[in-house]
Amino acid sequence: MAEDKKEYFRWVESTYVNPDIDWKKAEIISAGIDVGSVSSQMCVLCDGEIYAYSNTRSGSSSPNSAQNAMDLCLKDTDGLKLDDIHYLVGTGYGRVNIPFCQRAITEISCHGIGANFMYGPTVKTVLDMGGQDCKTLRLNEKGKCLNFLMNDKCAAGTGRGMEVIAEILKVPVTDIGDRSFDIDEEPEPVSSTCVVFAKSEATGLLKDGWSKNKVLAAYCAAMAERVVDLLNRIEVEKDFAITGGIAKNKGVVKRIEKLIGVEALEPKMDTQIAGAVGAAIYGRALYKKQKK
Amino acid sequence: MITAGIDVGAASTKAVIMDGDKILAKSRQLAEGEEEQVIKDAFEGALSEAGITKDSIDKIVSTGAGAKNVDFSDDSITDISSGARGAVFEVPETRTVVDVGAEQARAVKCNEAGKLLDFATNERCAAGSGAFIEAMARALQTDFDKFIAYHFESDKDIPLNAQCAVFAESEVVSLINSEATTADISRAINNSIAERTSSMTRRVGIEPTVTVIGGVALNKGFIDSLQRFMETEVAVPDDPIFTNAVGAALIAQG
Amino acid sequence: MFEKFGEILENRHEYAREWKKRTGGKVVGFFCSYAPEEPLQAAGILPVRIIGGHKSSDKVGKFIAPNIGCSFCRDALGRGLEGDYDYLDGIVQGQTCLHTGEAFWVWEKHLPVEFSYFLAVPHSTQNVGREKYLAVEYAKFKKALEEWIGKEITNEDLDRGIDTYNTNRQRIRQIFDYRKQDNPLVTGTEALDLALSGQIMDRNEHNQLMKEVLEKLPDRQMDRDPGTRIMIIGSVNTDREFMDMVENQCDLPATIVIDDTCTGIRYNFNDVNPQDDRLMAISLRYNHRPPCPNKDWPRRRRIPFIKHLMKAYNVEAVILFNHKFCQPHQLDNAVIERELKAMDIPNLTLEFDIRIPIGQFRTRVEAMLETTMDII
Repeated sequence: MAEDKKEYFRWVESTYVNPDIDWKKAEIISAGIDVGSVSSQMCVLCDGEIYAYSNTRSGSSSPNSAQNAMDLCLKDTDGLKLDDIHYLVGTGYGRVNIPFCQRAITEISCHGIGANFMYGPTVKTVLDMGGQDCKTLRLNEKGKCLNFLMNDKCAAGTGRGMEVIAEILKVPVTDIGDRSFDIDEEPEPVSSTCVVFAKSEATGLLKDGWSKNKVLAAYCAAMAERVVDLLNRIEVEKDFAITGGIAKNKGVVKRIEKLIGVEALEPKMDTQIAGAVGAAIYGRALYKKQKK
Repeated sequence: MITAGIDVGAASTKAVIMDGDKILAKSRQLAEGEEEQVIKDAFEGALSEAGITKDSIDKIVSTGAGAKNVDFSDDSITDISSGARGAVFEVPETRTVVDVGAEQARAVKCNEAGKLLDFATNERCAAGSGAFIEAMARALQTDFDKFIAYHFESDKDIPLNAQCAVFAESEVVSLINSEATTADISRAINNSIAERTSSMTRRVGIEPTVTVIGGVALNKGFIDSLQRFMETEVAVPDDPIFTNAVGAALIAQG
Repeated sequence: MFEKFGEILENRHEYAREWKKRTGGKVVGFFCSYAPEEPLQAAGILPVRIIGGHKSSDKVGKFIAPNIGCSFCRDALGRGLEGDYDYLDGIVQGQTCLHTGEAFWVWEKHLPVEFSYFLAVPHSTQNVGREKYLAVEYAKFKKALEEWIGKEITNEDLDRGIDTYNTNRQRIRQIFDYRKQDNPLVTGTEALDLALSGQIMDRNEHNQLMKEVLEKLPDRQMDRDPGTRIMIIGSVNTDREFMDMVENQCDLPATIVIDDTCTGIRYNFNDVNPQDDRLMAISLRYNHRPPCPNKDWPRRRRIPFIKHLMKAYNVEAVILFNHKFCQPHQLDNAVIERELKAMDIPNLTLEFDIRIPIGQFRTRVEAMLETTMDII
């Protein structure tokens, strides 16, 4: 690809370091790395509080993706290194390939604990819309997963699906949500949610005179419908929260809320780090258990 | 009689101008940007190569998924029919045509005149089409020619489990992380498509000569796998991407 | 200790060919556990269950559309079309589900064998008159068999057949009993090899192998952490790769201690109670055995059966599976899932295909196991 060719599917990688924490004074430093198929994150906790995190795009090698996430996370942390971390837990689909983690825990459990930390103990139902799968979780007040459902057979309703739509319509993926509401009338959801045929489908609609925004709205509506199916099967109980990349897409989120008649809790931090946060919390608990 | 055939496919539009049995021009435009413009450019490219104007053409027939979008054509016909006609023209012994395009795949049974007798298509599943291979080659971070070369460096047959083309990419990624070599993975990808293609073709029956057309016919690795599954050799015309458009141009002649 | 069973299972086609050469006898394939095996055994025939090879075939699509046909039946039929079963002299099927029926009819037409017979097994195993009905069907079947093999099947022959099968099932249950312990002496993967190998080899030889195992089993030392005690519920389970993943490759320990599948306990739970009318005796066994969901109506007898097994084997979690496009099990699993939820038993529902996405399944199984752990 030419350097100047715009890549609409690219969302921005990010990092964060908490300026109010001095890691050298922390008693227990735990961390979690979530290597997903589309994105990877690392989160560092100092005595149970978020100290630093990173959110990067995954590559084709899981160990490299983990390393990249870590390098970005620790970059501005005033000298924090892997050796300083007391316990590191790996999660996500690439968890079996992270050479420097002490334990691997599935992203299902980690998202539960992560959501509990990020949204509070009232969260009973979590929807995670990740890069390549969608899952719904039922939690207890400690964030422990009691029950879950996963859809990883179909790309519709996943981040990959959204990235493909962004490329086809040449709309930056981060703009999709807002633009999907800049329309006159809510359209019917697209009939074929198959992401591979999205191009023909979209071309047809544009030819029929639909604006790009309307096409985006139709796709968001179709994705919302697919995801709601999963939610209905697990039976949504308040409070309801969303994690993962698509939580940032208001076009899908608002339509889901409308279909299930429940509003999701407002996110106060980057929704993509939920897995890494949960893994780091597990890390802290495992370290304490180990010390006993 | 001078005629033109325009094949509007998912990945590109092909235009062919013929005078009787003679091909005067062939032009292809990738489907990037407005479809109307793509079609116009393909057609005008053919006109300029043939050195004629639109008025010299007696009849224009369009085909392909976007056949109805060619507003200047006199008639449109399915690529099932045009593929059969074109394949028999290029390989007269053809009795079975396999067309694996970017999004759709079909198997066609025809007679010696290229008349359609029976057909089967892949049911809205991209796992049996060119888009799949492209996605996989991307995941392997290799170009088309190298991808084909890799196929012949392997002698292992690893099965691919993923159904959906979108996820097969990550399955390929996980294979990269495991012990499988790029050569083995390339072969596995071609095997996967070839098996589905063969399964589809058996529904109409494999009757020699089997001719493969469409972009995927240029993938020698795929052809190698296909021959193994079909248990017969297949023929590939010189320019398989244009066969449908040639067929449309011939059908225009009556 | 169980390696021999696994070996024979893996080399089942060589075994059958070698058996034919050795004994000069005939081999008859059957698709489903409602086929009458005792009469076949009595006739000196080797009954073998036709199973898939977890390999797809491009030859099946012509007969069973890939997007509506049961994945197990497509796999099994595929093996036939690829020639793996060319040693079969006959095929037999008892009426159960549409998919096995389809596989049988396609096989009969396109892979012709000397003897083929489709038995009308009652639709429901709770109807009045079903026992007599099935006994009469058996009589017709016996007659057809006798005409084929050219000799009478006597009561003594039937007694021998019944005895072989009774012994077979009893020994399997005896070996399964060792899974009730806190540290089961047999893993689920081994139990699969054990039960499935019986369905593809001479039952008398299988009985002998089991006798040897039963002598050694009580002294067996297991050096694995049994972990969470899992029950697997579904239809035909030939997926060794899956069982091995659950028991040996997850980050948390687990053992599959029992099943309700037609390749496991459901097939081996009941014996034939001998009586004068041998065919009626066999009919009673097939009518009263734990039912296939296809035949389990109007009242679901499977639920009490499953609960009984869960108690006997101290089950802590359940994996439910159905083959892709299998409606009877899909529907039953939904009901069983509800019951398990009411009992607060962690459970996981998976859909099997000819080949399974092992990485994705591993994540789900591990996540379920994690719901039983309490780190935080």
